[in-house]
Amino acid sequence: MAKLLVVDDDKNLRLLYEQELEEEGHDVTLASSGPEALDYLKSNRPDLIILDISMPGMDGIEALGKILAKDKTMPVILNTAYSTYKDNFMTWSADAYVVKSGDLTELKAKIKDVLKTRGMLA
Amino acid sequence: MSNQLLKDTLTLVLSGGQGERLYPLTRDRAKPAVPFGGIYRIIDFTLSNCLNSEIPRVYVLTQYKSFSLDRHIMLGWSSLFNNPELGRFIHILPPQQRTGQTWYLGTADAIYQNIYTLEREKPEQVLILAGDHIYKMNYAEMVRYHVERKADLTIACVNVPKAQANQLGIAVCDVDNRIQGFQEKPKENPATIPGDPENCFASMGIYVFSTESLVRRVSADARKETAHDFGKNIIPEMVAENARVFAYPFKDENKKDVAYWRDVGTIDGYYEANMDLTEVNPLFNLYDETWPIRTYREQFPPAKFVFSEPQGEHPSRRGQALDSLVPNGVIISGGTVEHCVLSPQVRINSYSHVQDSILMEGVSIGRRARIRRAIIDKGVRIPEGTTIGFDPEVDRARFTVTANGVVVVPKEMPLG
Repeated sequence: MAKLLVVDDDKNLRLLYEQELEEEGHDVTLASSGPEALDYLKSNRPDLIILDISMPGMDGIEALGKILAKDKTMPVILNTAYSTYKDNFMTWSADAYVVKSGDLTELKAKIKDVLKTRGMLA
Repeated sequence: MSNQLLKDTLTLVLSGGQGERLYPLTRDRAKPAVPFGGIYRIIDFTLSNCLNSEIPRVYVLTQYKSFSLDRHIMLGWSSLFNNPELGRFIHILPPQQRTGQTWYLGTADAIYQNIYTLEREKPEQVLILAGDHIYKMNYAEMVRYHVERKADLTIACVNVPKAQANQLGIAVCDVDNRIQGFQEKPKENPATIPGDPENCFASMGIYVFSTESLVRRVSADARKETAHDFGKNIIPEMVAENARVFAYPFKDENKKDVAYWRDVGTIDGYYEANMDLTEVNPLFNLYDETWPIRTYREQFPPAKFVFSEPQGEHPSRRGQALDSLVPNGVIISGGTVEHCVLSPQVRINSYSHVQDSILMEGVSIGRRARIRRAIIDKGVRIPEGTTIGFDPEVDRARFTVTANGVVVVPKEMPLG
């Protein structure tokens, strides 16, 4: 399936995403911060990035800007516990915005949508 | 006019273009900072419109060679706009490189790179202006028109005769002025205004966007390989996708028989628009106190005209200016100026004759020089006996000469 990069500062969530998305058949890489993700992107190109917003230091909005500045075609889903960022114009350049919840149904559906739109999924 | 509509509107004046067609006037300054009409700069007309329309929040997006533009706005316009208590301001916004390491790739990218500013201000509407046209317009009426129609985008359009359509971007409209499409410089059969088969609607490059629509469009555009341009990408896409895009018929505040809107983006256009001001009854009205054109002006002593030898058989030493604009700080010392636009601190020396020309600040014309159809940029000292504008071949060897034969002497060029 697809090569995903999950960026989240919460270790337990990272492990949850890794497990659930691997079960979907994806190849998952984890990063615990914006800088770590950017470092990974220097030598790797995932098919899609799942990016938390509220993180210490560089937040997901700033990381999104830096990711798109390097590669404007990179698909990014913002994945956050807060719906308030939805009104922030800086989040509007992401491919999708998902509010975190107990189960990952919506996230999984959005991943499929984005991959499909980008022609990476039949 | 409801004040609230304007309070909810943020104005962005795009001033980051290179102005290549105005070279060499733009060699050392941004196009909006090019002097015009003796004491003004091109951007003054747009900013005067903003002030006269009571627009409260203005950002001027600068980029290339912005120093003289920044200084002009700081000195001339800050005090007229800025009142933090009332939420009124003019700010200069150079590229921040928040979204990338490039300069503005196009007009749409200039907005995309400043989304942070839109996020902070959260306006309902964004008025986008260009800062390089000469016209008088009440933007408040356009904003109201936009809001009344619940438009995604409203584009100001000027009536032009069919014959001029081949120079301009023509909007194809229905009877409600909703835009159905565009014709870029149509060679034949331009779309005419419904109910007016002789005239067309030409886009003036003045836009009111609903903020949400603007941000969504430029954010999506930033992720594609396009020219990142409103005219080429964003607007055609919106029209194709049936967004609510309307033409706003330009209502001229110039109070003349024919609507005045001039692109001064070429040397010849710039020259003609300046020369118009010297006419007995100019097309563009600088004298209407209900729509004042403001600028930054330094203090100078009154213009002085000296030597008044009687006209006789021999060339007489008379300091005189006819059919000309002569601002403070000029000394016409024994020479003659005819049909010219002068700037402060210009000096015209004895027995010289200057006609049909634009002389910028600090230009000095040496004795017995003869100048015709020339634009002489700031600080140039024309040596005694120089002739410009009489022999195109000789002029072309030294200066820029336009298609219409206007000679341009660049800023501070050493001569003689």
